[in-house]
Formats: sequence, C-alpha cells, structure tokens
Amino acid sequence: MSPKTETAPESLALRVLRAGMPLLLLAVLLLLPLGDIGANRTKVLFLTFVWICASVAWNILGGFAGQASFGFAVFYGLGAYTSAVAINGGINPYLTYALAAAVATLASLFIGLPTFRLRGPYFAIATIGVSEAVRVIMTNLGFTGGASGYRITEHVPFRQTEHYYTGLALAALAVAASILIRRSRFGLGLRAIRDDQEAAADSGVNPYASKLAAHAVAAALTGVAGGVYARYAAFISPDGVFAFQRSVSILLMPIIGGVNTIWGPVLGGGVYGVVEEELSARFPEFHLLLYGVLVILIILFEPGGLMGLLGRLRRLILRRRVGAWQPS
Amino acid sequence: MAAILKLEAVTKYFAGLAALDDVSFEIREGEIVGLIGPNGAGKTTLFSIIAGSQAPTSGKITFQGRDITGVKSFRAVHAGIARTHQITRPFRSMTVRENVEVGLRFGRKGGGAAAARHGIDKEVRDILELVGIQNLAEMSSMTLSVGDLKRLELARTLAARPNLLLLDEVCAGLTESEMASILELLRRIQKLGTTIIYVEHNLRAILSTCHHVVVLNFGKKLAEGPPEQMQNDPAVIEAYIGKKAEA
Repeated sequence: MSPKTETAPESLALRVLRAGMPLLLLAVLLLLPLGDIGANRTKVLFLTFVWICASVAWNILGGFAGQASFGFAVFYGLGAYTSAVAINGGINPYLTYALAAAVATLASLFIGLPTFRLRGPYFAIATIGVSEAVRVIMTNLGFTGGASGYRITEHVPFRQTEHYYTGLALAALAVAASILIRRSRFGLGLRAIRDDQEAAADSGVNPYASKLAAHAVAAALTGVAGGVYARYAAFISPDGVFAFQRSVSILLMPIIGGVNTIWGPVLGGGVYGVVEEELSARFPEFHLLLYGVLVILIILFEPGGLMGLLGRLRRLILRRRVGAWQPS
Repeated sequence: MAAILKLEAVTKYFAGLAALDDVSFEIREGEIVGLIGPNGAGKTTLFSIIAGSQAPTSGKITFQGRDITGVKSFRAVHAGIARTHQITRPFRSMTVRENVEVGLRFGRKGGGAAAARHGIDKEVRDILELVGIQNLAEMSSMTLSVGDLKRLELARTLAARPNLLLLDEVCAGLTESEMASILELLRRIQKLGTTIIYVEHNLRAILSTCHHVVVLNFGKKLAEGPPEQMQNDPAVIEAYIGKKAEA
C-alpha cells in the first residue's frame, strides 16, 4: 500500500461516526444513573472517571511532549490532601478543586524547573526521586496525620450520584483539554519537541517553556482528580495517594490505551479502572500479572497500544472489503 | 548596504581545542555569502553559534544592530535568523504540511502572525510551491527522498520568515538538475529580500550564486572577497590542495 492511503480524506460517514461516538458515549454516561445500576457499579464508574482524567493528563506531557514522568502521584496526592484539608476547613468542595489544581501546578513548576534541564531517561529518573521524597515528607508531616492518614468530615449526606457526575465532568474536562491542546499551536510545538527537540528550537519553539506548560496543565488536571477522589474516599493516606504504584498506574493507562493519541488514554483509563476495581477484588494479585503481560505485548508488538491495535483491525477489514470488490 | 550581521573575534573552544579562533567579518544585507573551507574548518560550528545552538567561548555577534551573542536558538529564530541542517531533521510524526506549519507558527515575531491573517493553509501552500513540493503536502515526512527532505528542510526554515537564512550544504547528495533548481531557488529567495549565508563544498555552486565569499581554515578566517578573487587566492588554493612543491 502506498503511504498516501493512510492520510487520504475519510468518507463522510466515517467522520460523522468518529465525531458522534464520543458524544454518544457521553450521553449514555449522563443517562446511566437514571437507570438503577447499583451502588457498586456507580462506584466503579466514578473511580474509572478519575483514572481517565489522570491518564489523559499524563498523556499531555508523556504523550504529546514525549516526556515520560514517573512522578504523577505527587500531583494526585497533593491535590487529594489540598482538597481534604480545605474541605475540613469549611470551604466549598468544588472550590477546593481549584486549590488542588493550583497547588499541583505550583509543584509541577518546582519539579519541572530543574528536571526539564535533563533529557530523555534522566528526566524520568529524576521524577522517581522527587516522587519518593514527597511521599516520605507526607508520611512524616504532623498536621495531616503523617503515615496514619487523614480523614475528611463533611456535614452533608453522602450522595453518590453527585460524585458520579463530578467524576464524569472531570473526565470530560480532561478530554476537552487534551483535544484543544492537540489542535492548538501549543500542541503543534509539543509534537515538534517530541520528534526532535533541537530542530523544534531551530524552528522557533521554546522547548523549556513548552514542557513546563504541558507539565503544569497535566499536573492541574491530576491534582483535581486527586481532590475529587479524596472527597469521595473521605480518607486518604500517603501510602495510598502518594504511592509509587500510583505513579506507575497513571503511566500504565495511556501506554495500554495508546500513548500520544486523544482516545488511547481514555480507553486505557477505562480498561484499567474496570479491571482494577472489578478484578482486584476477586483476584487480588491477578490484575498485576495482567498488566505485566499487556505491557510486554505492547512493547513487543504494538507500541500504539489498544488504539494501535484497533487501527490495525480497521485497516484489515477495509482491505478485505476492497479485496472483495476486485475480481480475483 | 548596511551590515545585517557582524561577528567580532568569535572564538569557540571544545575541550581546549579551538574550533573557531578569532573570526571576524560582516555580512551586508541582501547578499548571498558563501562560507567555504576544507573539512573541519569550523563552518558548521560557526553556523551553530550564529543560530544560537551553541554559545561562543568569547567574541560578539551583532544582528541588525542588536547584540545576540549566546542567545538561545528559538530566540534567534524569533529575531529573524533561521538555519537548515546539513543532515535534514524533519519532524517525523508529521506530514510535510505540518512540518512547514511549525516554522510558520513559531517563526520570526511578526512574520508568522502576519501569515496567519491570510490563513495558514494558503501560506503553507505558497511555501511548498516555492520550493517545489506542493504535491507532497499530505505525505508523511518519513516517506520522502533525500532531495525532497532537503526541500522540506528549506521550506520549514523559510516558513519562519527569516531575515538571515543560514544554509548548511543544501546541495550535498543532490543530482546536477536538483542542484540547479535549488540554486535558482536561492537566487529567488535573495531577490525577495532575504540575506543568505551559504556553506558549500561545491565551488561551482558558490561561484554561480554568491556575491561574497568567506574562507575558513582550521577555525581561522583565511580570506574573504568576491568569489572570482577567492578562486585564485594562493592561500585558499593552498588550504584546499596543498602547497606547490619546492624545486
């Protein structure tokens, strides 16, 4: 096949389908709580939305800009603690999410300013160090209860549907931000940096500032995800929200789904959320094996993740159909 | 005409070795200036320093009356200096059109913004047409031939709307006819008002296009002057092919 085939303009039907599918999905998810889906399923979906937000956020830096970070638990955890402390201080929960975003953004600058002077694997390694350091600090911080965790007390009844819609809005916000960035001048600059940082700078892109900005946006979204989670969970601890395992999960989702795409991280977050919440309850260790196998398969056969796999299937079907028209 | 670029005693050391040693010259606005010299003379290093990819160890560079010594490369681009690379460096995940779009949207301050008013798409088309790859706009840059990659590199650099264009061996590896059309293109770009510094090994290319030639050897400026004069300069000949044997 000539390389031109892949970039050929798509048929109208396909374009409508592509634009319509996310809206359809959103509509279904909006209507879902009206039907009685049960508390447990609502919880799984809520947690999945939170995961999707973190996954999409990570992809803005790790995918679009190509800067893999192992330190996103820092933002998730800081967001969670910021919201938790602020809610206990009597601030409206939705306002605390803005605070969570602000604190996470500040942290991203503190981490980014020195570490973005490093390139490639060195940036990734540095983020591991920072992430561990923050976890240890939080474990020993007195006013948040240190290692024993922190409890949130709200004097309002627990309404699961409210959490569900907050989570859905959060995931939708992350996807919208991801789409807008991808299509913007900023997103074009990030792609250039990912491809060839020096050539990008020689074309007028400021790599340092662009990476800091991508880091900040990703951190803000992840911080809000942490805050939304904290309010739902009502109890957080450094070993939970700041765990290295959390950083790894946030990075696994976009890789499973398809890094550097819009829908890959959504798909990855969806798969991860459901697997994590459904399977880990039934088979406590099995899901870890599943991720291990998935990651090995992805690295070996399909670096594009599930999205890459879907694209491959689509081409296969299209080719078959084209083949059927031609007399053989 | 006024000097657009002025180098004063530019020196660059790599681990104690002088890659450039006290190089000074001026480039007049609107000219095509050839930068020649044997391998390892410091041509590419000089380019990197002017374009901001590297900082000089000492010396001063003035562009349009502004001191730009040691500024970062993206700032040099914003000021109006853009370079091509000897080995082309396309953005591999992008199509030809998108590659050019990067130059257009991030290039010289005032250049890209003006372009956007008339629509980015039209600007991209015009540039691709100028370098002769308009039919490749939607191709992935990974599928291009060497000649087309050179054209893409040039298109992306031109899209940044530079006042000073630094070209590093844009003709290397091209066929005679491809070379002729690139040189013709350079003359057209120069007529549109862009000053060009052109590194080249092919002396015929230099003689047929440049107004002025600067010769480097072992990091030092050996000579400068009109191309015909440089061709017959004993010092230049010696640098390239060696000294006449003593009888």
